[in-house]
Amino acid sequence: MIDADLLKGLPPAEAERVLALGKRMLLTTGAELFHLGDAASSLYLVARGRIRLTLPMQVRNREEDILVEERSSGQTVGWSALTPPYRFTLTAAAPLETEVIALDREALNAYFAAHPDTGYAVSLNLASVIGQRLQLFQAMWLREVQRMVESRCA
Amino acid sequence: MEMLLMGAVLSMFGLAVTCLAFGAATHEEPATETEKEAVKAAAASARFFAAVPALPVAAANRVPIEALLLQIENHVRLEQAAAACFLESPSATALHGRTISSLVN
Repeated sequence: MIDADLLKGLPPAEAERVLALGKRMLLTTGAELFHLGDAASSLYLVARGRIRLTLPMQVRNREEDILVEERSSGQTVGWSALTPPYRFTLTAAAPLETEVIALDREALNAYFAAHPDTGYAVSLNLASVIGQRLQLFQAMWLREVQRMVESRCA
Repeated sequence: MEMLLMGAVLSMFGLAVTCLAFGAATHEEPATETEKEAVKAAAASARFFAAVPALPVAAANRVPIEALLLQIENHVRLEQAAAACFLESPSATALHGRTISSLVN
């Protein structure tokens, strides 16, 4: 069983039941898992390998996918599937052969409605994943602002 | 008495010459339209938030795009690592710690 950040704190048997709701997917090197703007109906747990999350950026008048984050085994990708408007805000691709578990939103919601304790625990874990990313990017953004101020007021 | 009058006349004459010289030195010709534009442009560029000097185009284009993309990726990784260090132990020093990214050095 994978040690998923989303299932932290759940009894192993319960974590297995949640994972059993998912569908394993094998991504070959370079394969895209989802694209920016796509409808997000599934959340993904990285079982092995790595996922690159990118955003488009203009570099010398060419649109390039720029790395924003990387997720590895046990980490969650695509939580846009659980938050409105259910659209992916990044593009995800596998830089090497990677296996993910796709958890369908409808299946998760139905399971959590029947097992609220599990739903609560997973929601807390999800909030932690989202919160960490927010704090990380907040700090990165402020560092960038600091540099801008230094370069313009030097 | 004559000497006194002569002195007064010379003083008045000196004062008149000084006034004329001062007036000539401080007199402004009406500026032409071209001069007005030049002054406006100079005033506009002297703002507090001056534009960032751009990297010379030739120098920027010398770096192959693949190398540039790697530099950007490396920069993002270093910035994330720096931000993660800050989250581990939040402080103003940790927040603004420098990295070795070639994009900002």
